[in-house]
Amino acid sequence: MKRLACILICGASAWAQNLLDPTAAEWKPAAPLTLALHRTPPLYPTDAPATNEVQSVQVQVLHAPAGNFARLEWADKTHDTAVLPKAERAWQGEHLVNQTPATDRFADACAIMLPSRPLVGGINPSLQMGDPDHPVHIYFWDSTRGAAVMEASGRETTKRTGQSFPAQGQYAGGKWVVTMQIPDLQAGASFAVAIWNGSQQDRDGRKYFSIWYRAQ
Amino acid sequence: MPQHQISMVLDLNKCLGCQTCTMACKKLWTDGDGMDYMYWNNVETRPGQGYPRNWDKIGGGFEDGKLRPSALPTKEDYGQTFEYNYAERLFQGGLQAMPQEEVRNTPNWDEDVGALMLGENYYFYLPRLCNHCTNPACLEACPRKAIYKRQEDGIVLVDQDRCEGYRYCMRACPYKKIYFNELLGKAQKCIFCYPRIEKGEVNACAKQCPGRLRFVGFLDDPESAVHKLVHVYKVALGLFPEKGTEPNVFYVPPFNPPRSGSYGKSVLEDPRMPMDYLKYLFGDEVVDVIRRLEAELRRAQNGGASEVLQLLIGRDERVRYQIPKREDLIQIQGVHKA
Repeated sequence: MKRLACILICGASAWAQNLLDPTAAEWKPAAPLTLALHRTPPLYPTDAPATNEVQSVQVQVLHAPAGNFARLEWADKTHDTAVLPKAERAWQGEHLVNQTPATDRFADACAIMLPSRPLVGGINPSLQMGDPDHPVHIYFWDSTRGAAVMEASGRETTKRTGQSFPAQGQYAGGKWVVTMQIPDLQAGASFAVAIWNGSQQDRDGRKYFSIWYRAQ
Repeated sequence: MPQHQISMVLDLNKCLGCQTCTMACKKLWTDGDGMDYMYWNNVETRPGQGYPRNWDKIGGGFEDGKLRPSALPTKEDYGQTFEYNYAERLFQGGLQAMPQEEVRNTPNWDEDVGALMLGENYYFYLPRLCNHCTNPACLEACPRKAIYKRQEDGIVLVDQDRCEGYRYCMRACPYKKIYFNELLGKAQKCIFCYPRIEKGEVNACAKQCPGRLRFVGFLDDPESAVHKLVHVYKVALGLFPEKGTEPNVFYVPPFNPPRSGSYGKSVLEDPRMPMDYLKYLFGDEVVDVIRRLEAELRRAQNGGASEVLQLLIGRDERVRYQIPKREDLIQIQGVHKA
């Protein structure tokens, strides 16, 4: 029985790995949904108005025995990512000090936000990171730092849960394709997408965002 | 508003530009990964480009009560960090110790260059650190609420767990005294040596200063040197007061000497450096401060007693530093309220 369980788990894990491959054949039949993206307004009077460089994102959702998966694809002329040396959180010591390569660059990133509680009366949480009565989970993927699960219940409340999730990103031909395994993304679940364009110094609330959609 | 505000006064007339403070801070706080380019304390020649380059011109702070964030300084603005070819020079017979790369800009790149006025060169050294402002633009700008000002001493800190590296704080700070550690993805800055302060020990930069130009204490402690210099004698000013952040690091402006050949003349009659430049850095009030200092100097030169000049000599640590230990501070709360 233990052996059977192992075979099943290993099989599911292998399948999950396969679905994280953006080119996997399983994605071909999944119906793509094109979501229009909106740009958040400039925060400060000294910010230049941001041009609308990323106008839409294509989303596919797969429900498989290995879990629920999303595949995001969007056009981005600039590949904004960095491979950074691992840093020790040390203030001092005798180790070799790794240098900071830059101070003003930002990474391309994306996120899928879902309500963390069942909807009441079909009302979705606020798009601004939910609200106290309608908290959200955010599955955030950053091209430099990887995947992190966050939770929030309104603007400025976003915090990391300390959990990660399986995700993979590929940039080629002026396009990002990011795949994510998201347990909450069941059929019929509400979700919203955000895209950050590093070359536009996007981070935090400076981003592209969609309205709420329902996963098929 | 914090209950108490710790503060530093730096007498620019005594700064040697030796960078001992810079190194004391570097060795103690910024020799970790991703901190290579950071100098929480730096000393720059004024007039000059500063560190990061043009920090005083690019913006930040408040205007009409609203934040006016600047562009982010680039790594090139902060200057290169590089190694020398010591192995080649020492072990392979190389002739010169040279940087391993072509160097185009570093912190303190234009040391001792200064500027000319009426054909005469002038400059002075400006040591800089976080100003632990009463109205910190960095704190106001942070959407993560990762920056906070401590109630017990007014020290401004970045919560490294809450910080997400958005760098709004760097854009907002008019002094550009917050740095980004890209390896950790965190903003980092001068912590006013709070672990030392809590033990009643002065900051490392002040402790190591050979020029004895730094005074440290609570601004609301009437017995402290900083209180006397800022509020009683009124001879110390903050940088760029018009930026609206109410800095808590103050400077006794350079007031000596008059131009060569002008001995006996008032520094205000024939100043060696343009008064407009000092006004640019410290505001219009600098003229009154220099007038006060000059009057004190005249009094001392004529054999009179000048308490403020005696204080500025800063003979020993007891004169310069008045830092109660944390437990003592709790006991004296209410006594030293401003």
